[in-house]
Amino acid sequence: MKEIYIIIINLLLLNCVSAQGKFLTKDGYVSFFSHSVVEDIKADNNQVLSIVDSETGEIAIQLLMRSFMFKKALMQEHFNENYVESYKYPKATFSGKIMRFDELEELEGETQIVGTLTVHGRDKEISARVNVEINKNEIILIGDFYVEVADFDIKIPAIVANNIAKTIKVNFELRHKPYKM
Amino acid sequence: MSGKKFNIILSLFILVIIGLVVSFLYYNKPHTNIEKSEYDYSLKAEQLIKEYKEQGIEAEKKYAERIIQVKGEIKNISTHKGNSVITLMASDSESSVICHMLPEENAKVLKLKNGQEINVKGKCTGFLLDVIMVRCILVE
Repeated sequence: MKEIYIIIINLLLLNCVSAQGKFLTKDGYVSFFSHSVVEDIKADNNQVLSIVDSETGEIAIQLLMRSFMFKKALMQEHFNENYVESYKYPKATFSGKIMRFDELEELEGETQIVGTLTVHGRDKEISARVNVEINKNEIILIGDFYVEVADFDIKIPAIVANNIAKTIKVNFELRHKPYKM
Repeated sequence: MSGKKFNIILSLFILVIIGLVVSFLYYNKPHTNIEKSEYDYSLKAEQLIKEYKEQGIEAEKKYAERIIQVKGEIKNISTHKGNSVITLMASDSESSVICHMLPEENAKVLKLKNGQEINVKGKCTGFLLDVIMVRCILVE
Protein backbone atom coordinates (compact mmCIF):
# COMPACT_ATOMS: atom_id res chain seq x y z
CA MET A 1 0.00 0.00 0.00
CA LYS A 2 2.83 2.36 0.95
CA GLU A 3 4.45 1.85 -2.45
CA ILE A 4 1.25 2.77 -4.21
CA TYR A 5 1.07 6.05 -2.27
CA ILE A 6 4.66 6.81 -3.16
CA ILE A 7 3.96 6.10 -6.81
CA ILE A 8 0.85 8.30 -6.79
CA ILE A 9 2.67 11.16 -5.05
CA ASN A 10 5.55 10.85 -7.51
CA LEU A 11 3.19 10.93 -10.47
CA LEU A 12 1.50 14.05 -9.06
CA LEU A 13 4.87 15.72 -8.56
CA LEU A 14 5.99 14.83 -12.07
CA ASN A 15 2.78 16.30 -13.41
CA CYS A 16 3.41 19.55 -11.59
CA VAL A 17 6.96 19.75 -12.90
CA SER A 18 5.92 19.22 -16.50
CA ALA A 19 2.97 21.62 -16.16
CA GLN A 20 5.02 24.44 -14.67
CA GLY A 21 8.34 23.59 -16.21
CA LYS A 22 10.26 24.33 -19.29
CA PHE A 23 9.15 24.11 -22.86
CA LEU A 24 11.81 23.36 -25.44
CA THR A 25 12.46 23.00 -29.15
CA LYS A 26 15.61 21.81 -30.90
CA ASP A 27 14.36 22.38 -34.43
CA GLY A 28 13.12 25.92 -34.27
CA TYR A 29 13.23 28.02 -37.42
CA VAL A 30 14.95 31.36 -37.90
CA SER A 31 15.53 33.03 -41.24
CA PHE A 32 16.88 36.36 -42.32
CA PHE A 33 16.21 38.36 -45.41
CA SER A 34 18.17 41.11 -47.09
CA HIS A 35 16.60 43.07 -49.89
CA SER A 36 18.64 45.33 -52.17
CA VAL A 37 18.35 46.64 -55.70
CA VAL A 38 21.03 44.19 -56.83
CA GLU A 39 19.72 41.01 -55.23
CA ASP A 40 17.63 39.42 -52.50
CA ILE A 41 19.44 37.18 -50.05
CA LYS A 42 17.73 34.72 -47.75
CA ALA A 43 19.12 32.15 -45.34
CA ASP A 44 17.29 29.55 -43.24
CA ASN A 45 18.23 27.88 -40.00
CA ASN A 46 16.13 24.88 -38.93
CA GLN A 47 18.24 23.82 -35.94
CA VAL A 48 17.41 26.55 -33.47
CA LEU A 49 17.38 25.70 -29.77
CA SER A 50 14.86 27.59 -27.68
CA ILE A 51 13.65 27.20 -24.11
CA VAL A 52 10.64 28.95 -22.59
CA ASP A 53 9.85 29.00 -18.88
CA SER A 54 6.09 28.58 -18.86
CA GLU A 55 5.88 30.13 -15.37
CA THR A 56 7.54 33.43 -16.12
CA GLY A 57 7.62 33.76 -19.89
CA GLU A 58 11.38 34.01 -19.90
CA ILE A 59 12.98 32.77 -23.08
CA ALA A 60 16.51 31.71 -24.09
CA ILE A 61 17.44 31.01 -27.71
CA GLN A 62 20.66 29.70 -29.20
CA LEU A 63 21.60 28.98 -32.77
CA LEU A 64 24.67 28.09 -34.78
CA MET A 65 25.65 30.62 -37.43
CA ARG A 66 26.92 27.77 -39.63
CA SER A 67 23.44 26.23 -39.65
CA PHE A 68 22.19 29.09 -41.84
CA MET A 69 21.64 27.65 -45.30
CA PHE A 70 21.92 29.91 -48.31
CA LYS A 71 20.86 29.17 -51.86
CA LYS A 72 24.34 29.97 -53.13
CA ALA A 73 27.31 28.15 -51.59
CA LEU A 74 29.57 31.15 -52.15
CA MET A 75 27.29 33.45 -50.15
CA GLN A 76 27.25 30.96 -47.28
CA GLU A 77 31.05 30.82 -47.38
CA HIS A 78 31.43 34.61 -47.34
CA PHE A 79 28.82 34.95 -44.60
CA ASN A 80 30.62 32.51 -42.29
CA GLU A 81 34.21 33.37 -43.11
CA ASN A 82 34.20 37.10 -43.72
CA TYR A 83 31.08 38.72 -42.30
CA VAL A 84 29.98 37.00 -39.08
CA GLU A 85 33.30 35.18 -38.52
CA SER A 86 31.72 31.91 -37.39
CA TYR A 87 35.09 30.44 -36.43
CA LYS A 88 35.34 33.15 -33.74
CA TYR A 89 31.65 33.53 -32.91
CA PRO A 90 29.96 30.21 -33.73
CA LYS A 91 26.71 31.03 -31.93
CA ALA A 92 24.08 33.72 -31.82
CA THR A 93 22.04 33.94 -28.65
CA PHE A 94 18.99 35.74 -27.39
CA SER A 95 17.73 35.98 -23.86
CA GLY A 96 14.64 37.89 -22.90
CA LYS A 97 11.06 37.83 -21.84
CA ILE A 98 7.70 37.38 -23.49
CA MET A 99 5.72 40.44 -22.36
CA ARG A 100 2.25 40.05 -20.81
CA PHE A 101 2.88 36.28 -20.74
CA ASP A 102 0.49 35.55 -17.87
CA GLU A 103 -2.37 37.27 -19.68
CA LEU A 104 -1.77 35.10 -22.71
CA GLU A 105 -2.21 31.76 -21.01
CA GLU A 106 -4.27 29.17 -22.90
CA LEU A 107 -5.06 31.55 -25.69
CA GLU A 108 -3.68 33.26 -28.72
CA GLY A 109 -2.41 36.76 -28.78
CA GLU A 110 0.05 39.23 -30.15
CA THR A 111 2.68 40.67 -27.87
CA GLN A 112 6.36 41.61 -27.78
CA ILE A 113 9.48 39.71 -26.87
CA VAL A 114 12.06 42.03 -25.36
CA GLY A 115 15.64 41.10 -24.64
CA THR A 116 19.28 41.01 -25.66
CA LEU A 117 20.40 39.61 -28.98
CA THR A 118 24.07 38.65 -29.28
CA VAL A 119 25.52 38.21 -32.76
CA HIS A 120 29.18 38.42 -33.77
CA GLY A 121 30.03 38.94 -30.09
CA ARG A 122 28.04 42.21 -29.88
CA ASP A 123 24.94 42.73 -27.71
CA LYS A 124 21.89 44.65 -28.80
CA GLU A 125 18.58 45.21 -27.05
CA ILE A 126 15.75 44.29 -29.36
CA SER A 127 12.00 44.07 -29.31
CA ALA A 128 10.23 41.59 -31.58
CA ARG A 129 6.60 41.44 -32.59
CA VAL A 130 5.34 37.94 -31.82
CA ASN A 131 2.20 35.91 -32.11
CA VAL A 132 1.87 33.54 -29.17
CA GLU A 133 -0.22 30.41 -29.10
CA ILE A 134 -0.30 28.47 -25.85
CA ASN A 135 -1.94 25.17 -25.16
CA LYS A 136 -1.19 22.26 -22.84
CA ASN A 137 1.34 20.62 -25.12
CA GLU A 138 2.82 23.49 -27.03
CA ILE A 139 3.99 27.07 -26.85
CA ILE A 140 4.20 28.46 -30.36
CA LEU A 141 5.97 31.73 -31.06
CA ILE A 142 5.86 33.19 -34.56
CA GLY A 143 7.17 36.65 -35.24
CA ASP A 144 9.73 38.94 -36.77
CA PHE A 145 12.00 41.90 -36.08
CA TYR A 146 14.54 44.08 -37.86
CA VAL A 147 18.23 44.52 -37.09
CA GLU A 148 20.87 46.91 -38.39
CA VAL A 149 23.98 45.17 -39.74
CA ALA A 150 26.12 48.01 -38.32
CA ASP A 151 24.90 47.35 -34.74
CA PHE A 152 26.80 44.06 -34.71
CA ASP A 153 30.07 45.42 -36.06
CA ILE A 154 29.76 43.29 -39.19
CA LYS A 155 31.98 44.71 -41.91
CA ILE A 156 30.72 44.52 -45.46
CA PRO A 157 33.35 45.25 -48.14
CA ALA A 158 32.56 48.33 -50.25
CA ILE A 159 32.48 46.26 -53.44
CA VAL A 160 29.37 44.32 -52.29
CA ALA A 161 27.88 47.10 -50.14
CA ASN A 162 25.06 47.57 -52.66
CA ASN A 163 24.20 43.87 -52.62
CA ILE A 164 23.48 43.71 -48.90
CA ALA A 165 20.77 45.67 -47.10
CA LYS A 166 21.65 47.87 -44.12
CA THR A 167 18.57 46.59 -42.31
CA ILE A 168 17.90 42.86 -42.17
CA LYS A 169 14.53 41.29 -41.49
CA VAL A 170 14.56 38.28 -39.18
CA ASN A 171 11.66 35.83 -39.04
CA PHE A 172 11.22 33.11 -36.46
CA GLU A 173 8.91 30.20 -35.79
CA LEU A 174 9.49 28.28 -32.57
CA ARG A 175 7.26 25.37 -31.59
CA HIS A 176 8.14 24.41 -28.03
CA LYS A 177 7.11 21.10 -26.45
CA PRO A 178 7.12 20.26 -22.74
CA TYR A 179 10.63 19.34 -21.74
CA LYS A 180 11.01 15.94 -20.10
CA MET A 181 14.25 15.15 -18.34
CA MET B 1 43.12 46.49 -89.85
CA SER B 2 46.45 44.70 -89.74
CA GLY B 3 46.54 41.02 -88.75
CA LYS B 4 48.59 41.78 -85.64
CA LYS B 5 46.09 44.30 -84.26
CA PHE B 6 43.23 41.94 -85.00
CA ASN B 7 44.98 39.15 -83.10
CA ILE B 8 45.47 41.37 -80.04
CA ILE B 9 41.82 42.42 -80.02
CA LEU B 10 40.69 38.83 -80.51
CA SER B 11 42.83 37.52 -77.65
CA LEU B 12 41.65 40.33 -75.35
CA PHE B 13 38.08 39.50 -76.26
CA ILE B 14 38.65 35.81 -75.49
CA LEU B 15 40.27 36.72 -72.15
CA VAL B 16 37.27 38.83 -71.16
CA ILE B 17 34.88 36.01 -72.08
CA ILE B 18 36.94 33.49 -70.08
CA GLY B 19 36.98 35.91 -67.13
CA LEU B 20 33.22 36.33 -67.25
CA VAL B 21 32.60 32.58 -67.48
CA VAL B 22 34.98 31.84 -64.61
CA SER B 23 33.46 34.48 -62.35
CA PHE B 24 29.95 33.33 -63.24
CA LEU B 25 30.84 29.72 -62.37
CA TYR B 26 32.55 30.85 -59.17
CA TYR B 27 29.54 32.95 -58.16
CA ASN B 28 27.19 30.05 -58.82
CA LYS B 29 29.37 27.25 -57.55
CA PRO B 30 27.23 24.49 -56.04
CA HIS B 31 27.13 23.33 -52.43
CA THR B 32 29.53 20.53 -51.54
CA ASN B 33 28.19 17.25 -52.81
CA ILE B 34 28.16 15.19 -49.61
CA GLU B 35 27.78 11.89 -51.42
CA LYS B 36 30.80 12.41 -53.68
CA SER B 37 33.01 14.04 -51.07
CA GLU B 38 35.45 12.15 -48.91
CA TYR B 39 34.81 12.58 -45.20
CA ASP B 40 37.37 14.47 -43.11
CA TYR B 41 36.72 12.38 -40.01
CA SER B 42 34.88 9.14 -39.28
CA LEU B 43 33.98 8.36 -35.68
CA LYS B 44 31.36 7.13 -33.24
CA ALA B 45 28.60 9.38 -31.92
CA GLU B 46 29.88 8.96 -28.34
CA GLN B 47 33.36 10.09 -29.30
CA LEU B 48 32.11 13.17 -31.15
CA ILE B 49 29.89 14.25 -28.24
CA LYS B 50 32.65 13.61 -25.72
CA GLU B 51 35.11 15.80 -27.63
CA TYR B 52 32.59 18.61 -27.95
CA LYS B 53 31.70 18.47 -24.26
CA GLU B 54 35.22 18.16 -22.91
CA GLN B 55 37.24 20.24 -25.36
CA GLY B 56 34.64 22.42 -27.02
CA ILE B 57 36.99 24.90 -28.66
CA GLU B 58 39.31 22.25 -30.08
CA ALA B 59 36.37 20.15 -31.28
CA GLU B 60 34.84 23.20 -32.95
CA LYS B 61 38.08 23.88 -34.85
CA LYS B 62 38.38 20.24 -35.81
CA TYR B 63 34.82 19.39 -36.88
CA ALA B 64 32.81 22.53 -37.66
CA GLU B 65 32.14 23.03 -41.38
CA ARG B 66 33.77 19.62 -42.07
CA ILE B 67 32.23 16.56 -43.62
CA ILE B 68 32.16 13.82 -41.03
CA GLN B 69 30.82 10.30 -40.90
CA VAL B 70 29.22 9.32 -37.62
CA LYS B 71 28.29 5.84 -36.47
CA GLY B 72 25.59 5.50 -33.86
CA GLU B 73 22.38 3.93 -32.63
CA ILE B 74 19.09 5.58 -33.62
CA LYS B 75 17.34 7.18 -30.65
CA ASN B 76 14.58 8.87 -32.58
CA ILE B 77 13.41 9.56 -36.12
CA SER B 78 11.20 12.55 -36.84
CA THR B 79 10.30 14.78 -39.72
CA HIS B 80 10.79 18.51 -39.95
CA LYS B 81 9.25 20.38 -42.88
CA GLY B 82 9.16 17.21 -44.94
CA ASN B 83 12.76 16.24 -44.26
CA SER B 84 13.89 13.46 -41.94
CA VAL B 85 15.74 14.17 -38.73
CA ILE B 86 17.62 11.28 -37.13
CA THR B 87 18.85 11.55 -33.55
CA LEU B 88 21.81 9.33 -32.73
CA MET B 89 22.17 8.47 -29.07
CA ALA B 90 25.22 8.27 -26.90
CA SER B 91 24.74 5.79 -24.09
CA ASP B 92 26.78 7.76 -21.57
CA SER B 93 25.45 11.25 -22.23
CA GLU B 94 22.25 13.30 -22.30
CA SER B 95 23.44 14.85 -25.55
CA SER B 96 23.00 13.28 -28.93
CA VAL B 97 23.94 13.88 -32.53
CA ILE B 98 21.05 15.44 -34.45
CA CYS B 99 21.26 14.70 -38.17
CA HIS B 100 19.11 16.70 -40.57
CA MET B 101 18.89 14.51 -43.66
CA LEU B 102 18.78 15.64 -47.28
CA PRO B 103 15.31 15.18 -48.86
CA GLU B 104 16.69 12.49 -51.21
CA GLU B 105 17.17 10.23 -48.19
CA ASN B 106 13.51 10.21 -47.09
CA ALA B 107 12.64 6.86 -48.68
CA LYS B 108 15.67 5.14 -47.14
CA VAL B 109 14.96 6.63 -43.70
CA LEU B 110 11.44 5.17 -43.71
CA LYS B 111 12.98 1.69 -43.53
CA LEU B 112 14.99 2.48 -40.39
CA LYS B 113 13.96 1.63 -36.84
CA ASN B 114 14.89 2.96 -33.42
CA GLY B 115 17.82 1.12 -31.90
CA GLN B 116 19.36 0.27 -35.27
CA GLU B 117 23.02 1.16 -35.79
CA ILE B 118 23.70 3.35 -38.81
CA ASN B 119 26.38 5.48 -40.48
CA VAL B 120 25.49 9.05 -41.35
CA LYS B 121 27.65 11.36 -43.45
CA GLY B 122 27.05 15.10 -43.41
CA LYS B 123 28.32 18.52 -42.55
CA CYS B 124 28.84 19.34 -38.89
CA THR B 125 27.72 22.85 -37.94
CA GLY B 126 28.60 22.75 -34.24
CA PHE B 127 27.24 22.05 -30.78
CA LEU B 128 24.35 23.52 -28.77
CA LEU B 129 22.90 20.90 -26.40
CA ASP B 130 23.68 18.34 -29.08
CA VAL B 131 26.05 18.04 -32.01
CA ILE B 132 24.26 19.28 -35.12
CA MET B 133 24.79 17.89 -38.60
CA VAL B 134 23.13 19.13 -41.78
CA ARG B 135 22.78 17.92 -45.38
CA CYS B 136 23.20 14.33 -44.17
CA ILE B 137 23.03 11.10 -46.13
CA LEU B 138 22.94 7.45 -45.05
CA VAL B 139 26.05 5.41 -45.77
CA GLU B 140 26.15 1.61 -46.02
